[in-house]
Amino acid sequence: MPTSLAILPRRRQPATPLQRTLGVGLVFGVIGVYLAAVGLLPMLNKRSVIVDTIGLGDATMIAIGLGAGAMAARHAHTRGGATLHGLLAGAVAGAMAAALAVVMQLVSLQSIFIQLSPALFTMLTLGLGLAGGAAVLIGGGAAAGLAGALLRDSPPGGRRIVLAGLGTVVVAGVFQELIQLVLQNAGALTTSASEFFYTWEGLSQQGAAAIFVIAAIIAGLNAMVQRRAAGRVAASERRVRLRRLLRAGILLLLLVCFPLLAGSYIGQVLMLVGLYILMGMGLNLEVGLAGLLDLGFVAFFAVGAYTTALLTADSAHALAALSYWEAMPIAVLLSICVGVIFGIPVLGVRGDYLAVATMGLGEIVRVIVTSDFAAPLLGGAQGVLQIPKPRIGATVLATPVALFYLTLAASAVAAYVAWRLENSRLGRAWMALRDDEDVAQALGVNLIRSKLLAYGLGAAFAGLGGSIFAVMLSSVYPSSFQLLISINVLALIIVGGMGSLPGVVVGSLALIGLPELLREFGEYRYLFYGAVLVIMMRLKPEGLWPSEVRRRELHAGDEAEALDAGADLLPAGQHASSAAE
Amino acid sequence: MALLEIDDIHVFYDKIEALKGVSMSVEEGRIVTLVGGNGAGKSTTLRAVSGLLHPRQGAIRYAGETLGQYGAHEIAAMGLVQVPEGRRIFGRLTVNENLEMGAFTQKNRQQIAEDRERMLTLFPRLRERLRQVAGTLSGGEQQMVATARAMMARPRALLMDEPSMGLSPMMVEQVFETIRTINAQGVTVLLVEQNALLALSIADTGYVMESGRIVLSGSGPELLDDERVRRAYLG
Repeated sequence: MPTSLAILPRRRQPATPLQRTLGVGLVFGVIGVYLAAVGLLPMLNKRSVIVDTIGLGDATMIAIGLGAGAMAARHAHTRGGATLHGLLAGAVAGAMAAALAVVMQLVSLQSIFIQLSPALFTMLTLGLGLAGGAAVLIGGGAAAGLAGALLRDSPPGGRRIVLAGLGTVVVAGVFQELIQLVLQNAGALTTSASEFFYTWEGLSQQGAAAIFVIAAIIAGLNAMVQRRAAGRVAASERRVRLRRLLRAGILLLLLVCFPLLAGSYIGQVLMLVGLYILMGMGLNLEVGLAGLLDLGFVAFFAVGAYTTALLTADSAHALAALSYWEAMPIAVLLSICVGVIFGIPVLGVRGDYLAVATMGLGEIVRVIVTSDFAAPLLGGAQGVLQIPKPRIGATVLATPVALFYLTLAASAVAAYVAWRLENSRLGRAWMALRDDEDVAQALGVNLIRSKLLAYGLGAAFAGLGGSIFAVMLSSVYPSSFQLLISINVLALIIVGGMGSLPGVVVGSLALIGLPELLREFGEYRYLFYGAVLVIMMRLKPEGLWPSEVRRRELHAGDEAEALDAGADLLPAGQHASSAAE
Repeated sequence: MALLEIDDIHVFYDKIEALKGVSMSVEEGRIVTLVGGNGAGKSTTLRAVSGLLHPRQGAIRYAGETLGQYGAHEIAAMGLVQVPEGRRIFGRLTVNENLEMGAFTQKNRQQIAEDRERMLTLFPRLRERLRQVAGTLSGGEQQMVATARAMMARPRALLMDEPSMGLSPMMVEQVFETIRTINAQGVTVLLVEQNALLALSIADTGYVMESGRIVLSGSGPELLDDERVRRAYLG
């Protein structure tokens, strides 16, 4: 064999459709086996979707079968082929689960994989014994795969209706506790609705069926309305804006009314969400608008919290005994000062280097607070205790719900300020700096002032958040101000949509609120958290509620590349027409 | 006295001396060009003038003031505005937003609107593209945006860095036509170009630069006829 051939890349035979389908089935099967082996499936099954019928773990297995079928159907050319491939892929995935059950029956692996428990075996085999269980797994997998393939091939209208129905049932089942609580607190009518859909343990079978039907009907109507709108000329800009405003309004209304109905636990969760919204809006000024990637953001939060603590607390470290309303503005002002000082050493640092530098600055603040050197002033590791709750007249804002409303009010003020800033001269200067520092300066933007203002104003938001945080806990400890907080805030504005105010709200709800509701899953929550981040960045890099500019950027990308490639090779007249497309 | 006077400036990147004593003079209302090969120091000279770099030695005087004490944004506000190399428009903003950014130093809303109208008359193509994202425009159109953006700052002198770079020959013609139009409206132009033939043909005065030094200067036509220039740049 001539040696030169060895240098050529080996060209792989293209996979046949059958091979591909088997491959898809195997991949989904491995996902299922993995989830079972780490103990996630039995854990999920502790929450039921429909009482005594389907647990969340079972639902996950069904979803795996559906996914395998849908993926496999992608490659088929004919409808018959698609269903066949879906069936096969689902069966293969089911067979993998069955194989796991067989292995568990034959050898005890529990000394190595502690999660391969008898409970898992029972769950996999549905308590039917090995033979019966394996048959059900393979058969069920095939059925789910078939359903997945059919769903994929069905017209989008129908698919959306089914998926909306299923999704709503899952949400209604998983969050049954919360939903029941809200319904029962809301009034007589909703109480009886709650009794219709739910037993005290969770979603009943009749309730699930009813919810599926209702959700499907709503989705169907919605699709019809949309189709009719699309039939007319594309929705006018005003309509789009109106719809967006409506969405934002509904979200806000929910935020305002929810804790009243849902009680103090939800109040607590939402208050945390509110604090992250505050910080998110601040960091959004720095990262989203000015393009300053700041990982030391928690430092400003700490400054706000400690200032409030030291000025109001009834403890040995207290510097004064101000009321909360006097201490809060001072905390915010001090945060601004720290933000500006913080910005000075990193003025000339850009991009990734800035992230590392600010991370260092944030850590410095934390280390100083923990140090023995500052202990006489700041209380060291013991922190500052006995911070009084704020009071309005005679009322003390002591309950989580009351403090939530304080957070909400602060967020509303902050959102207004952020919104005005975004559309101000300063906001435009930030955006110009973010895109091109040199050009911005050449157009008259004062680099130093604008950057320091970004740090200072961003810090103001975090300081306000920290101030509320201090009264929420009635105490502050240095261990509360970890790097993880900075990272969380950054993650939530990325997931929500960089540079977008509603995005901050949506991002906090999704990344801070949701994990709190899944608290019983313990450490697994962070598995979801990580997976959600990865999936988001793959599927929707612009975020859940992107800003106008960012949406444009990501949608214009492909078009721009195409134009760049050919544009200037064409004579002037010709690319006018190509660009107009 | 010349509007812009560059007096023996030395600029360093760390220890490397990029400009080794450059002197130039730009008379008000003229087109002055600075030509030379890659890495000769043309862009460095422009960056020093616009305040993005600071000379270690020598002085730059503009309208009777020494620029050394001013930051880049202040120099821009004084009417010395740069059209950067490679256009560097704000790619994710629309054409209109780019123009608004250009008027950052201007306060008078009505005047801004008039200026914008003037620019859209000068570049009719941009009127069609007003709401389009600037990054999706062709290279030639992006150059128009960059030029119009700079003009929105109401410059007294425009510093243009390689406006012909990467454009088709036809587009290059248009760009130079625009430069002449802008100049005829009273704006002084300092043009840095690798395309020496074209640049010298529209310039009143030319300077030839090589490895950080001015090696030749004279009127545009003079330099075009110069044997050394012909050999080095015009082939």
